[in-house]
Amino acid sequence: MTQDRYNSSSIYNPFPMRVVAKREEAPGVRTLKLEFVNQEDHEFFTSNYRTGMFGLYGIFGEGESTFCVASPETRKDYIECTFRQSGRVTTTLAGVDPGDIVTFRGPYGNRFPIEKFEGKNLLFIAGGIALPPTRSVIWSCLDQRDKFRDVTIVYGARTVADLVYKHELDEWKRRDDVKLVLTVDPGGETPDWQDHVGFVPSVLEQVAPSPDNTIAVLCGPPIMIKFTLNALGKLGFSEADVYTTLENRMKCGVGKCGRCNVGSVYICKEGPVFTAAEVQAMPQHDL
Amino acid sequence: MGIQEQYRTDAANLLDSGAVKLVIGYGEGSTPERRRPIFIRSAEEVGRLVLDANCIANLSAYLVPEGLLSDGKSVAVFLKPDGIRSVNILAAEAQLNPEQVVILGFNIDAGLANPLPGRKANEFAPLLASLKSAGLSTDLQREADRLEQMTAVERFEYWKEQFSKCIKCYACRQVCPMCYCRRCIVDVNQPQWVNTSSHTLGNFEWNIIRAYHLAGRCVACGGCDRACPVNIPLRLLNHRMSKEALDTFDHFAGESADQKPVLATFRQDDPETFIL
Amino acid sequence: MTRILLHSRVDDCLSAWRSAGFRVLAPSKRNDLTRFDEVHAASDMALDLVLPERTIKDHFFPQTEPLLNYRIKKQAIESDEMLPPQQKRIFFGVRPCDASGLEIDDALFGWDYKDRYWFSRRENSVIITIACTRADDFCMCTSVQLSPDSTKGSDVMLHPLKDGRGWRVVTLTDRGKELAETIASMLQEDASETAPAASVPVKFDLDKVTSWLADPSNFESHLWKEVSQRCIGCGSCTFLCPTCHCFDIQDEGDTYSGIRRKNWDSCSFAMFTMHTSGHNPRNTQSTRWRQRIMHKFNYYQGKFGVNSCSGCGRCTRQCPVDMGITETLQEITNLPR
Repeated sequence: MTQDRYNSSSIYNPFPMRVVAKREEAPGVRTLKLEFVNQEDHEFFTSNYRTGMFGLYGIFGEGESTFCVASPETRKDYIECTFRQSGRVTTTLAGVDPGDIVTFRGPYGNRFPIEKFEGKNLLFIAGGIALPPTRSVIWSCLDQRDKFRDVTIVYGARTVADLVYKHELDEWKRRDDVKLVLTVDPGGETPDWQDHVGFVPSVLEQVAPSPDNTIAVLCGPPIMIKFTLNALGKLGFSEADVYTTLENRMKCGVGKCGRCNVGSVYICKEGPVFTAAEVQAMPQHDL
Repeated sequence: MGIQEQYRTDAANLLDSGAVKLVIGYGEGSTPERRRPIFIRSAEEVGRLVLDANCIANLSAYLVPEGLLSDGKSVAVFLKPDGIRSVNILAAEAQLNPEQVVILGFNIDAGLANPLPGRKANEFAPLLASLKSAGLSTDLQREADRLEQMTAVERFEYWKEQFSKCIKCYACRQVCPMCYCRRCIVDVNQPQWVNTSSHTLGNFEWNIIRAYHLAGRCVACGGCDRACPVNIPLRLLNHRMSKEALDTFDHFAGESADQKPVLATFRQDDPETFIL
Repeated sequence: MTRILLHSRVDDCLSAWRSAGFRVLAPSKRNDLTRFDEVHAASDMALDLVLPERTIKDHFFPQTEPLLNYRIKKQAIESDEMLPPQQKRIFFGVRPCDASGLEIDDALFGWDYKDRYWFSRRENSVIITIACTRADDFCMCTSVQLSPDSTKGSDVMLHPLKDGRGWRVVTLTDRGKELAETIASMLQEDASETAPAASVPVKFDLDKVTSWLADPSNFESHLWKEVSQRCIGCGSCTFLCPTCHCFDIQDEGDTYSGIRRKNWDSCSFAMFTMHTSGHNPRNTQSTRWRQRIMHKFNYYQGKFGVNSCSGCGRCTRQCPVDMGITETLQEITNLPR
């Protein structure tokens, strides 16, 4: 399906997207809500997007930058993306306002197989700006809550200010069918901080549910992933039941430009979603 | 004892005594004429060192990247006079401490490699002074004269043809001892100073920026010219800038380690002919 | 009975092809560089080269190529793809290694998403290859299971005659047969003997190399550092390679309009994989060289069943520091079992 659309037009020609909302998440971190300008682009997205996929977001004249689709597969009338302002493209994207047009190419890559998660307990673990990819899966599951058993979310950031999606954190906290555990790194707490202080792996060890019949979804910076995988291993999680996402510098998103591979695995095509077992099988020094 | 044997012995002694941690020299290449840079870390390996008239690369480019000298230890390197000048410039630009560079100096004359006396860059001062008074290469000048005699339009056409061949592989930059910037200006994208595309305009931007950045710093080792896979005569561009530095500022690049960088120095008596 | 084309008839062929709407490109020497360029007469061609310095890849995947143009208006943007013109082309005097390179890259540009920039040029091009009767010190086609007369990627193969008068013509594809028909009157029946193909010694043991590369424990081998110590990190081996295909996408223009381009990029460059955060998965030259070798002889093989090397030897031939694929694969071949 994806290929058909792109074989009839250039695989490098993006969709125009209208910015309909903009949200300040944390210092330097923004979320844009984008709507489709063209009906056919929207239809294409609707029939292809599944949670976990990514896109290339761009501004003509500046270029494109790769990040996940932060909105869930259960809400396909728009695309949300969350990014940290750091390079040329993200700096420009950070400056757009509602009404402006940006571009989107995608959805690309593989997905979280959430139908396999049905009937199981779910443990979501995210660090810092990696909540957005996790949040896409979280809402994809919460929007069909009755298909899943207990849902636990462990989210940590360097400081309280660095926590993103604060309004949704409040919402999850209020729900009685979600257990939300928040933590900030030591020194990152504010005087009125009520939640945990400590690094994600150690907090996880205190709060994690039993690994029995539980799927873990883990997104974060490489160093956090590494230590959290260790923690999950200690807790008895099988590597096949832990899902994570990898990211690398990308230009094409469609398996041509040759830079995103880890060992023989093209992140843009075979990823970005992998089980921990799959990640362990990759050459670790290529990550 | 020939120079090759002598320098193998010297290299072995330097390594054995712990005076240097590494010897950068030349080894056999993939054809009988080719020589390639090699890195010798123990006296047992010095038999791989070759020194003859085919050893033309300026090995000083290996001294700066990857923090080679950051541990304070010394390195020995086979250098011709052009390489010794490079070491002086790198020292003058605070990229290395010349005390850490042990020079196994040689020149090539009439198809033979001959030893040059001295071990540290400053010991070659008389040699470099004599090179300065001998002036820039007359061979290069003859080639350059051909360009000088063209009209500006013809010369522009000439360089347009030449630069249109450029593929931006950056071999000229990578092989050059002077191109040590951690992030080259072409890799900077905020703002995008230089078009990254390898079309004629982008190629002009790149080659001219590099020539300007080498003004008064190029030692005419010819590394970029030889490295260029599409045969752009970069030697002529660089020669033109060297001639300007010499004629206008009496600046012979790399004459000594305390020479002031010509384009980063102001003197009261500087000619100001370039101010319109 | 076989058909031959005499050197003396090449000009007639060029005229016939031009009147049939083809552009003809052949190896030629201009501005001190040998490469494929448009030719109008046999005398423009440099067919005596072992192979030109530049590959024919340049004409299918140019060093910089417009992908699309864009216009930014108030609250709207427009973009149009800029596909290459539908120009029929003949490449005359291609070497078997360069022709093979095209077929090797078809797999990459065609898997899953099809790169129409590559394929529109491929579909409009006819490849006339001349078998090699001469090789130089760097040729290594026989080491990668090709040969001085391999037909891979070619539509027509010309085998030089022993007496030096011309070539024996062998059509290989429908496209090649059609093309031969356009010059049927210039060919003649002749049983002249062809010159022997060049002898290219086998330089490394490809089977041993690929199985060594396939062993995950060798990913961290000290060999990678040793063979790449002198690498200066330029991109010339990748840019002169008939199969290297990596690229960057860059915009050029202003706030109102401009062009998005596809530019060659190289795994040798530190910036190639550098994350915005500063993290670089391949942060040393040895890891980048390993990527190049692994990509060509392991990853590509795993994905497409073919190695991404056609044995032209340009990587070593033009390397400023005399490195190259041949040496690395020889070193692997020479490792104790």
